[in-house]
Amino acid sequence: MPLLELRNIYKAFGGLQAISNVSLNVNEGEIVSIIGPNGAGKSTLFNLITGVYKPDSGDIIFEGKKLNGLTPDQVTKRGVARTFQNLRLFTHLTVLENILIPQHHRLKTGWLGAVLRLPKYLREEEEMRKIALEKLSFFGPRLMSFRLHQPVYVLSYANRRRAEMARAMATGAKLLLLDEPSAGMNPKETKEITQIIRRFRDEGGYTIVVVEHKMNLVGDISDRVIVLDYGEKIAEGDYKDVVNDPKVIEAYLGRKEE
Amino acid sequence: MRNTILTIASVGLAALALYLLSHMQGTSGLLSALTLIFIWGIAAVSLNLINGQLGILSLGHHGFMLIGGYVTALLMLPAKERRPFRTRLLSDWARNDLDLDKWLRGLGLDTIANSVDLKFVIALFLAGLAAAFIGIIVGAPSLRLKGDYLAIVTFGFGEIIRLLPNAPQVAAFTNGPLGIKGIPGNAGSIWWTFVVFLLVIWFFSRLKFSSYGRAFEGIREDEIAAEAMGVGLAYHKVLAFTLSAFFAGVAGGLYASYLQSVDTQTFNFFVTFFLLVAISLGGLGSITGAVLGTAIVILVRIYGGFLEESHTAFVGYISGAAVMLAAFAFSVYIRKSRRLRPVVEPKHYIFGGLGILLLLVALLFQGQPWMTQKVQFFGMRRILLAVILILIMIYRREGLMGRAELAWNKVFGSREDIPSDEQRDQDAWLSNPDLNPGAAKEDDDASA
Ligand SMILES: Nc1ncnc2c1ncn2[C@@H]1O[C@H](COP(=O)(O)OP(=O)(O)O)[C@@H](O)[C@H]1O
Ligand SMILES: [Mg+2]
Repeated sequence: MPLLELRNIYKAFGGLQAISNVSLNVNEGEIVSIIGPNGAGKSTLFNLITGVYKPDSGDIIFEGKKLNGLTPDQVTKRGVARTFQNLRLFTHLTVLENILIPQHHRLKTGWLGAVLRLPKYLREEEEMRKIALEKLSFFGPRLMSFRLHQPVYVLSYANRRRAEMARAMATGAKLLLLDEPSAGMNPKETKEITQIIRRFRDEGGYTIVVVEHKMNLVGDISDRVIVLDYGEKIAEGDYKDVVNDPKVIEAYLGRKEE
Repeated sequence: MRNTILTIASVGLAALALYLLSHMQGTSGLLSALTLIFIWGIAAVSLNLINGQLGILSLGHHGFMLIGGYVTALLMLPAKERRPFRTRLLSDWARNDLDLDKWLRGLGLDTIANSVDLKFVIALFLAGLAAAFIGIIVGAPSLRLKGDYLAIVTFGFGEIIRLLPNAPQVAAFTNGPLGIKGIPGNAGSIWWTFVVFLLVIWFFSRLKFSSYGRAFEGIREDEIAAEAMGVGLAYHKVLAFTLSAFFAGVAGGLYASYLQSVDTQTFNFFVTFFLLVAISLGGLGSITGAVLGTAIVILVRIYGGFLEESHTAFVGYISGAAVMLAAFAFSVYIRKSRRLRPVVEPKHYIFGGLGILLLLVALLFQGQPWMTQKVQFFGMRRILLAVILILIMIYRREGLMGRAELAWNKVFGSREDIPSDEQRDQDAWLSNPDLNPGAAKEDDDASA
């Protein structure tokens, strides 16, 4: 049984068919890349999976259960977390607070217990801090120590991307949806993030779906590549097969005759 | 540990100061100012939970305060004060049995019933519960809305609640527009307000620095992201709204018993407006700021009376000059501390010029009859508050405290967010690998 399964998803915005008849599977432990020209519907697909948008028709199945109709927080509680293409960190909060908030939904103590600082709450808080550090340590020391207590708005763009990935992991999700994780990073940082994403899977045990434009990153990490164009799935398979597929070349470069 | 000791010590000092004040002559004005600061501080801190921490504009706070005020009044009112207007009631129960005293005695809690103070605590708690209950009813449906829509809906609910005591069916309980008078007043003394104030501050700061407080602030920062991170919006908004309503009710109860009376004008929309001014002044999202803002507004109102007394025109000119020159100095100071050039903006010369002009006029025409004539400006206090608010909005939009709190760690401790030199070096080569000889070499190998 695949971890995530999309069956014949359709989604239109007014007259624009943003997603049409997309079906795909993601197996546990895989890294799947979704590529496609701008406006192909990649981010929309993530928004559909995470419940930000409701599909017009089709089913989204995670661990054998339907996600359709759930609100984004319920989807996250089921085990799917995401990053945003246009960073959506909690800008005025510190890095640490940013990585603690996604763990809030796992808190068992009620608000009164939290205010009274019951021992149970303090233990949970301690645990949350430990997990936050564990997730941030994927990125080496750069978000640790003093950076933990800095507000996000002082971070560099690349560091914000990293913090957002740590935040998604801290939700306790099994499946990570990363929307252009290397956007705004220089080639060295991109190389590094490629290795780190692989470590998310190897060391963290996450299943990962990446939307990316940088082909060397895609080629490096993908077990499988899915190509979208105008909301339709036009190719799927190995990186090498997919990039040599005439339909894909056409989608990116346009038709030869024109 | 050090912090706990410091907190206990300063609370003790504050209590001692209050004790001394209340035993001194001629301090009754100051004491009532403090009482008002405590009461309205509670209200401001509770509004701040929604408007500052959750980031939702709610304009119905006066409605919740009013519920608290009326519930406290109804529960505390002695039977003989209540009887005259209740005679119109059809129900015997409401006429005879809506009485906290009777309930307590019925439960065999005579010791509590015999003490006005203990009864007051219970009445306040019930007042909070009533307001919280209405808070859930109002909040659950309307918190789905966003921004302006929510503000309008909360305002509407606030006004509906406020006018409810005047409705014919309810008026028999509440004495309609005449309001309720004769609420036992010793219960609203400075000690009660002080203790409740401390408890409320304690509660809200514990809440703010808990996982729930972080979730609220996450919602304020970015609702979509908070939801994507598993924070249920509906639950957390309603929770914050309800807690806020609870403490608004408590503040309303305290205020009603401070005034010893309550009617539908006691808590009109200007109450919410005043609270909004106070928290914007102090810093949205900061508990310290909410209290500070409240204190400023109340102190200006109480001690700003001299501004509205009649003075000679000469005094007016001199103070006008002082204000202008102060504005000039202030703008220079701000621009200088922000390292803006030029230090004096051309338009600010207007302040300086006007100040000097006024000063010259005042000195040159000192003896003239129109200079010694008495003049009086009503509403100067409001103007002063408005000017303060405008200046804050221009130069420090986040309010005096921003989102920060006064904390012992900030006074005595080290800043955790500032790197040591060693950390700074490490950070520098992490973010710029070219500075790191090791990394550069590895890269050369790769290209070779
Ligand atoms: N909320 C929306 N309303 C209307 N159109 C939208 C909305 N979200 C996305 N679209 C449109 O859907 C198409 C796919 O967008 P998107 O998924 O963001 O593409 P990308 O593959 O670049 O991530 C685009 O044409 C975009 O304009
Ligand atoms: Mg996109």
